[in-house]
Amino acid sequence: MTVSITVAVIAPSLLNTNGDAENAQVLARRARWGGAEAVVVPVEHPDDLPPDPDAIVIGSGSDADLEAARDLLLAIHDELRVAATRGVPILAVGTGLELLSWGIEHDDNTVTEGLGLVAGRAVANTARVSDDIVVASPRFGRLVGFENHARAYVGAEGSPLGRVAYGVGNGRDSSQEGVVMGEVIGTHLHGPLLAKNPAMADHLLASMFTRLGAGYVAGERAVEADKHAARARAAILERLGQTAD
Amino acid sequence: MRYAPAILVGRSVRTLARLRKPGGGSAVPGLVVNRIAPGYLAHALNSFAGGLVIVSGSSGKSTTTKMLVAALRAHGRSVFTNPSTANISQGLTSALLEEADLSGRIARDIAVLEMDEGHGALIAPQLSPRVVALTNVMVDQIDRFHDPEMVAGMLARIAHRATGTVVVNADDAHLVELAEALHDRVQFLRFGVTTEVLDRSRHGLGHARQSEERLPAADGVLVTAVDGRLATLSVDGFEHTINLPARGVHYATDAAAALATAKAVLGEAFDAGVACAAIGAIPPVFGRGEVVSIDGQNVEFVLVQNPASFQLNIDTVDTDAPKLFAIGSDVRDPSYFWPVDTSALGSVDIVSGSKAAELALQLAYDDVRIGRVEDDLARAIDDFLAAPPPSRGMKTIIFSADSMRRTRAHLGLTADTEVVS
Ligand SMILES: [Zn+2]
Repeated sequence: MTVSITVAVIAPSLLNTNGDAENAQVLARRARWGGAEAVVVPVEHPDDLPPDPDAIVIGSGSDADLEAARDLLLAIHDELRVAATRGVPILAVGTGLELLSWGIEHDDNTVTEGLGLVAGRAVANTARVSDDIVVASPRFGRLVGFENHARAYVGAEGSPLGRVAYGVGNGRDSSQEGVVMGEVIGTHLHGPLLAKNPAMADHLLASMFTRLGAGYVAGERAVEADKHAARARAAILERLGQTAD
Repeated sequence: MRYAPAILVGRSVRTLARLRKPGGGSAVPGLVVNRIAPGYLAHALNSFAGGLVIVSGSSGKSTTTKMLVAALRAHGRSVFTNPSTANISQGLTSALLEEADLSGRIARDIAVLEMDEGHGALIAPQLSPRVVALTNVMVDQIDRFHDPEMVAGMLARIAHRATGTVVVNADDAHLVELAEALHDRVQFLRFGVTTEVLDRSRHGLGHARQSEERLPAADGVLVTAVDGRLATLSVDGFEHTINLPARGVHYATDAAAALATAKAVLGEAFDAGVACAAIGAIPPVFGRGEVVSIDGQNVEFVLVQNPASFQLNIDTVDTDAPKLFAIGSDVRDPSYFWPVDTSALGSVDIVSGSKAAELALQLAYDDVRIGRVEDDLARAIDDFLAAPPPSRGMKTIIFSADSMRRTRAHLGLTADTEVVS
């Protein structure tokens, strides 16, 4: 029996400024390389949400689109909560994470209410962060990526994604990055972080396959792609003066 | 004669700079003059009898400016324009000094300036352009501008200075909104593409936000068909065929922008036929579909600078052609390229440049077959050119601006002064 995977990606027309929505494609591609069938379903409207998605990806967007993205997320709030409770992997990046949090505090003292799905909230920061980031994660090993965000994130101290080895992450001198609640992962690592951090991708895929009663083994093409990932990581780590993988 | 002392100093600095480094040091005189006479730049730019024209936007401004200048000159106008994309104030002042008389005046009818959106917004408050033309708002240079709204805001600051006409891309929702906000103060002219042209461009136009509706033919300059390097444009209801400097819808749109702007500048004197002929005579653009003969074999150069040009240029690349693809250090973080669908490439023989591994990673996830990854660009080029000629298609080198410069230098091709930021 072939495993059939559905990855929902929320509002890619609004939340894909840094290519974060492409993590949905990364999951689908690796699932296919691992012998499964896989589709990516863009959710631009509440009705687009598939009934029982196997993974959900929420990318990052510009502040002008915050309200529109939040309204869409609010309309599928219950479905997201059910998915999170069932252990469906949810990856939220940048403003995607901020919208899943308690809320976003703006410079002008207004607040964009979040969904409260994960602990913490986004608060003002002194300066925009736009640089490489390296995170030591107890669950996913070393994560290498790029961060580009104007706000800091507080209240995730109880369950961060990992400790910052290079970069800023959640900021406010926390030395921590992101937030993890079960299989819900929120992070500032933007862009195709699952491609550059295949250990994290395969962790999510393994949990997706297990929920469907199947086992996941990375396909041959994934092993090939991971060689490119290893070289990309090595180049970044060397440039930052970090020890090699 | 207020600026005569500054200009004299600028001239002597220029002479000194040339003595020290022949052909070089071109920004230095401008730097000096801007320091001793900070008002000179704006004074000179605002003093053209036929007015100042500013062209800005995320992409296509360089080509649009070239086309516009050609069209205006074909109408007998004498035009001052920035020689390279020396957008910075120093470069501009230096270029003005080349032509200025002692009072600071320049004996030309019109100034046409291509302005980077960031620098443009900075010097705009001092300028009074008669016409401002805006090409588009794209997700471009993310590390610098962070988001499209920021780019739109900078373009709005430039457009606000217009005294006569603002020319905008009707297919770009950001620009349409910006123009509507200025409606009661200035005239505005629009250009765009037809529904048919939009439907035929596989990945759309690349705007950060596309307008819901297309422009009716009667309302502006419209691209009605694009076939390779031939485009058909409708101007005032009449169709004109035009030769593009390179393949693709974005060049046709640049031509439409140039025609609409020429019309705004020339008014009654505008002759669409004259303008189209002048634009058609522009030589192929450097590094964007440019065909170069290297040791007897033809090689096509394709430049990718931002997600939009990346997608549009990739869609015009011949799938059968052998390909070398290089991305260099000018792309700080290639994440924002990931929304680009590279699968149409089919295969890439050599992936190179300092961001080779990151590029290979994206290609792999788009199921593009990769021959090999060669970090050393010089070796990659040599091996690629040494391979036997293809039975179909032309060897094609796709590169970012930095890799293009390195490729041209390695091959001993003339220094490229056309590179945009
Ligand atoms: Zn970035």
